[in-house]
Amino acid sequence: MKMKKTDIGVVVFMYAVCAYWYYGTTQLKESSRTYPYFTVALLFGLTTLYLLQMLVAAKKHGVTSGVSEVFKDFQPVQFFVCLVCVIVYVVLVSTVGFFVSTVVFMVAVMLYLKVPVLHMSIAVVVLTVLIYFAFVRFLGVKLPTGILI
Amino acid sequence: MLDTLSLMGAGFINALTPINLLMMIGGVAMGIVIGCMPGLSAAMGVALMLPMTFTMEPETGLIVLGAIYCGAIFGGSISAILIHTPGTPASAATAIEGYQMTLKGQAGKALFTACWSSFWGGLLSCISLYFFAPLLAQLALKFMSAEYFWLSIFGLTIIAGVSSKSLIKGLMSGAFGLMLSTIGLDPITGVKRFMFGQSFLAEGVNTTCALIGLFSMSQVFILAEKKIVKRAKASKVTDKMRLSKKEIRTLWPTIIRSWIIGNLTGILPGAGASIACFVGYNTAKQFSRNKQDFGHGAYEGVAGSEAANNAVTGGSLIPTLTLGIPGESVTAVLMGGLIIQGLTPGPELFTKYAPMTYTFFAGFVLVQFFMLAVGLIGCKGFANIARLSDAILIPCVTVLCVVGSYAIHKNILDVVVMLIFGVIGYAMRKFDLNTAAVVLALILGPIGEKGLRNALRVSQGSISVLFSSVVDWVLIALCIVGVLSPFFMNKMEKKSQALADENDAEAGTGDAPVSD
Repeated sequence: MKMKKTDIGVVVFMYAVCAYWYYGTTQLKESSRTYPYFTVALLFGLTTLYLLQMLVAAKKHGVTSGVSEVFKDFQPVQFFVCLVCVIVYVVLVSTVGFFVSTVVFMVAVMLYLKVPVLHMSIAVVVLTVLIYFAFVRFLGVKLPTGILI
Repeated sequence: MLDTLSLMGAGFINALTPINLLMMIGGVAMGIVIGCMPGLSAAMGVALMLPMTFTMEPETGLIVLGAIYCGAIFGGSISAILIHTPGTPASAATAIEGYQMTLKGQAGKALFTACWSSFWGGLLSCISLYFFAPLLAQLALKFMSAEYFWLSIFGLTIIAGVSSKSLIKGLMSGAFGLMLSTIGLDPITGVKRFMFGQSFLAEGVNTTCALIGLFSMSQVFILAEKKIVKRAKASKVTDKMRLSKKEIRTLWPTIIRSWIIGNLTGILPGAGASIACFVGYNTAKQFSRNKQDFGHGAYEGVAGSEAANNAVTGGSLIPTLTLGIPGESVTAVLMGGLIIQGLTPGPELFTKYAPMTYTFFAGFVLVQFFMLAVGLIGCKGFANIARLSDAILIPCVTVLCVVGSYAIHKNILDVVVMLIFGVIGYAMRKFDLNTAAVVLALILGPIGEKGLRNALRVSQGSISVLFSSVVDWVLIALCIVGVLSPFFMNKMEKKSQALADENDAEAGTGDAPVSD
């Protein structure tokens, strides 16, 4: 199997995590360092092993980008719009209130994804009613209210 | 013996309370819905429903999760049969014969066979759950600190190895999870570790938030990156949903064989329902008197696959409940459900908490009956749900992830943690890392850490304590087997899948079944 360039990112990320955790561990009291050191050593060792495997694969079979495989059928605009909507939704939940932000979030995402209005309305009503009865009434969870509900 | 029998009897009496029965029906129905939707998986469904079980009695909570698990494994067969798209990978083999039967106008017969075989596969798997689980739990009584350390390593090697495309990447995922498990207060000295100035991280990363993020929220991102396409319309069920007495009789040997296959596959940590269905299917073909029907709509093929994948459910609970080693992602999530209730897998479940455990077992038996009933009555309706667009699933699942993670401590920061793990999970899945290994490491990490540090404290820092007993060496040997097992498992899966694909190609249905 060819070495994928995208895996270089994985290796770099893991080494970065190891470095951060190693630094954090050195700041701990000596009695608390044993186990974090063990996990750092384990991840460092395995990442190095993977790096060696990648290099062997590159030498034997060559190198491929890997981007087309990892991001096959990737719809960047749709993905990032959804991601931003989710982040805004989480912010709104605590500031505006759970139910209002949920309705706004669902309508916004479904309008963007071109869901027919009837289907959208049914989904919004069913889910909010379900959450109200399951979480608020049945489980007694006080959902965030914010400035609205 | 008498004690066990009385516990079993009491378990059934406790399981038969109205609330438990209601939860069984609800859980099974929810599981079937989740299972038959190709975008969702059993692990994701169980993770999503975990927060709902917080306020319930432990046995009721576990029964709900068990019901969702069983329902989801069966539910995958509905879309496999009617739209040639398995709802879960566990039904990939069912699609081969099931869809052929649908094309022949025998969709009702295929659905009945799937339902009937799933019921028996699941029910028979409870036998081994009742008999092997307490025995294995007794063995776990002999474990000391060092053994718990090795046990956690064994659990990680198994899940990291088997459920990953690359063994090293799987192990890296496990090590990454172990690292994350060090977040919070040191369990021995109480020193703050990697808390990023957030006091809510004192008890470590909330496992449930991590579970919901890694399994459910990451799936939302996976759905959001793909073009929204209309799903194929489910074929109409024109024939009656039944089998003749003779046909039922001929199914028995297949069901029994698949039960044994599924059960053993379930008990072996690391091997899951997706392997069992192909092995069950191929064995059904090997022993069938009507081999020529395979690839053209053989109901024995549907039975072989479905009985095997449902037999995995009971089997996979054995190592999970007794040793705390979940063999696959669904049982890893189920174990999270146990821990949320303040219970630790191991011998205590069969001593101190035996009434609760046996109530769960009895509930698991009863769930199979509800699965049969709900499955037979609602098959046609569930098939329409399978067509639900990803455009609707994306916001709905997101809202459930948010409300679920918030409900744990009523803290919006838990939602943020869930979202972070959602992004981590998405990235991990894109780069073939293993999210199940991270979850398991978060669960097993603290157990392993306590084991290692207590053992070293007793031995005054000498690591020879980790190699001092026979049990230690057995566990070390199992770790080595765990690392090597992917080679054998991959070989077995590839062989079974190749045989099954041959049948599919012979049938000439065009596209191979799509698994999620």
